[in-house]
Amino acid sequence: MNISVVENTLAEHYCGYTQCSGHAERERERERERERASRCHGNLVANPYTNTATMSTSVAKLEKKKRRELVLRPSSGAINVSVSGLHGSTRRPNSVVASYSGRYFSVIGGSKMLEKSAIQAPRQAVRVFDEGNNDVTPRPLYQVAPGAVQAKASWFFVEEIPGGSASDQTSTTGGLIMPFFRSVLGSSRISTQSTIESMNEEIENTFSKQDMPINLPDVQKKREIVKEQVTEEMLKDIIDVYLSETSTISLLDIPNTFVSADADDAKAIIERNSQYAEVCRNRMGSHKYVDHSVQTVNGAAKNKQVQSDSITMVDAATTVTTWDIYDTLCSPEQDETMHSPEPEKASYTEAVVDTDRATAASSLKDMGVFGSSLNAESDLQLILSSEKFQHCFLVMERSILRNAFQPKLAAYRQLPVLEDPDSPVRPGTVEQRKEDIENSRSPALKCLWAFSCELSRGRSVSSMAWNKKNLDLLAVGYGELHSSNQKPGLVCCWSFKNLMWPERVIHCDSAVTSLDFSSNNPSQLAVGMHDGTIAVYNVQSQINISHVISSSKCPDKHLGPVWQLRWTQTELSLIEEQVESLSSVSADGRICKWFVFISDLNCTELMKLERVHNKKKKAGGNGTEKKSVLSELTPGLCFDFHPLDSGLYLVGTWEGLIHKCSCSNSQQFLQTYRKHFCPVNCIAWCPLSPELFLSCSSDWTIQLWKQDHCSPVLGFSSTQGAVYDIKWCPKWATVFGAIKEGQLEIWDLSANILDPVIVQPAAPGVTMKSLLFHTQSDCILVGDSAGHVTVYQLKNLRARESNQVNILEGLISSAASRQFCKTQPDKNRSIPTA
Amino acid sequence: MAEVEETLKRIQGQKGVQGIIIVNSEGIPIKTTLDNSSTVQYAGLIHQLVMKARSTIRDMDPQNDLTFLRVRSKKNEIMIAPDKDYFLIVIQNPSD
Repeated sequence: MNISVVENTLAEHYCGYTQCSGHAERERERERERERASRCHGNLVANPYTNTATMSTSVAKLEKKKRRELVLRPSSGAINVSVSGLHGSTRRPNSVVASYSGRYFSVIGGSKMLEKSAIQAPRQAVRVFDEGNNDVTPRPLYQVAPGAVQAKASWFFVEEIPGGSASDQTSTTGGLIMPFFRSVLGSSRISTQSTIESMNEEIENTFSKQDMPINLPDVQKKREIVKEQVTEEMLKDIIDVYLSETSTISLLDIPNTFVSADADDAKAIIERNSQYAEVCRNRMGSHKYVDHSVQTVNGAAKNKQVQSDSITMVDAATTVTTWDIYDTLCSPEQDETMHSPEPEKASYTEAVVDTDRATAASSLKDMGVFGSSLNAESDLQLILSSEKFQHCFLVMERSILRNAFQPKLAAYRQLPVLEDPDSPVRPGTVEQRKEDIENSRSPALKCLWAFSCELSRGRSVSSMAWNKKNLDLLAVGYGELHSSNQKPGLVCCWSFKNLMWPERVIHCDSAVTSLDFSSNNPSQLAVGMHDGTIAVYNVQSQINISHVISSSKCPDKHLGPVWQLRWTQTELSLIEEQVESLSSVSADGRICKWFVFISDLNCTELMKLERVHNKKKKAGGNGTEKKSVLSELTPGLCFDFHPLDSGLYLVGTWEGLIHKCSCSNSQQFLQTYRKHFCPVNCIAWCPLSPELFLSCSSDWTIQLWKQDHCSPVLGFSSTQGAVYDIKWCPKWATVFGAIKEGQLEIWDLSANILDPVIVQPAAPGVTMKSLLFHTQSDCILVGDSAGHVTVYQLKNLRARESNQVNILEGLISSAASRQFCKTQPDKNRSIPTA
Repeated sequence: MAEVEETLKRIQGQKGVQGIIIVNSEGIPIKTTLDNSSTVQYAGLIHQLVMKARSTIRDMDPQNDLTFLRVRSKKNEIMIAPDKDYFLIVIQNPSD
């Protein structure tokens, strides 16, 4: 705010008539003042409002020669209430000007300016007289006390002068200065108002005795700031700066009331102290002391006002949370790692919490916001390539899928299927569901979903295996088994948490024929391929999937497709832990056990599958079997280890024979089971009843054997078609599943031994290839030649009682007894009812 | 990088997914499949929600931290995977 120094004594014209002549005159005066003011350099001005009248008179006397009085007489009947601007009086040489209330800039009085002002037109003091020639010039409402400090030199040049006290000029001329106030503020003025009247007379008197105003001390000399232009030469100048020490300024001196005991005069002081104590004690009853009162002069109290810069207060608040404290405590430990992420972390918390956190990060917030738009692109790249983000994506994808497939997954996990509370209820479906519940009492398979993706489409599923540790993980091997052109094989590890895309994808050199997960190292997957190679992969992370070891360099490797692989655990008596070994059976007629030898797989032969000549053919011959020198080996198609004794296993051969062998005996079979006349495709020991096993073959039959019987106890056949796969249900002893060409059959021996309980035809054009039961829920997975692995849920199988094993055994024994009856008619056993 | 792009496409193609937004640590969306105004709105509002949620979890146990946030509403579900450097927001309507 630029307020020019009002050198004039003109005051605001208070009359109500804008057109009065006095008003016009005032205007003119004001203009002149403004011009003058503008010439003053850097001055600040206030418009005078009121002035004293009486004061002016007295002062006027003093300065008559410098001022000319302007006397107003009433004109046109209007009483001009204009007041003389005694501010003008401040414009005296050496006088300094007042400041006033509010935030006005102080008026600067400097001698320089004052000199200028002296040159200017003399001021006018306005005095008002009414018709009766009475002096009615208004008195000032405020007068500064005469003793008020003159040199508020510090107030000059200060931009803001709060408060209403007026600085004034010399005490001699007194604080008759009218404050420059614009508003009704001026609390100081109000406070002194009461004293004003009383002071008035005194001041007048004092003034009359005064001389000319005393020159202001040098302190108030020229205060104008003249800016010197810093020129180039000036910069290069060498300026001498002299530093000198000032004399010691003592700011506070409180003399000590204690003296150290080691001081020199300590003794004297101690003596005096003791004397004094003596005196005090004796004072009470002594005659030496008389009580006497004394009146002291009360010094006149004087109010003194001091003004200071108001201290700007800023509210700062912060909310501290528990974790904030924790972070601060822990962050010194992680200082190095936390440095760069810290500002960002703090900066975005700033965005949310509005209170001012007194941390350095708050200043970074602004920086961050500006810099962000530039860095968005690079940010994106950084983020997308970080591992955490990929993990994040993984979790997100699974959550989305879980949402989408929620009812099916719930059915799979045998949880109650919840209705989505927000989906609109369609009236038709509610009734349909009720119907469904009533109708479906017969055992059925409900298709839940199918695992398939682009990669696997078109490839035939050849084998499936569960992970031993993570029961949600499934490995599926894809490969054309019987076609001439071999596409490179594929292994996909599917998880039940992501139904649309496999977790791991492994590309293999040739078609995959068998798979198995290890139990000791659950992330190791053994893959047997069509060209006889066995490779063990570590599926822990997708990035480094490569085979840990492979048998491709082994000289003894299989020459034909590896039809089945199995990890078995054998207990060595010396070491008491379970040692795992990989066994395989292949089309070259060998069963091998593999071990790691210098980072490569090497094998020992467990058994050679020699072709066994049919004894009956030779019955009419020599009577003894002739073993040809070159015994041919017959391809082994499947094998299974005994669930309890891992040294015992069964092998199914191309000839249709099933041999029981032992790991310790590699020369001879322990027993041979003959029934099938076509290749035996699959053998499975019953997990719940260890004496029984099933076999299936391309001769359209399934045979149930008991371990010590040479002929099967029961045989099952339904439709015409080779049976490719057979599996026992791990939960119910009487249930097993079989895959025939073109259909899936579920047999429940407790219900029906002649026909399968459930028959699920395959989709047209697709043949089913592989079967797997889920260990805990009642779901079945079926792989087909189109690359789909469909998950079915078994429903309404009545085989839910707990004594399944007993039922099975009962059946077996009854069946066995019937057999015995045929051969040994004297044994008559009653057939227990199932 | 290509894998990430692929995964993003897969997620987008899932049933009922309405949009995916990736927001950086300052709350500025850096990748989105929705229109601009919705994106900005989601980014701003969800940012605040996640801050509050995280503050809640950590207040109760400072060693704990927020890993995933799902907000189920009548019309859709918003899934948020927050992290120090970014947020991943997916909006899905599973009954579509």
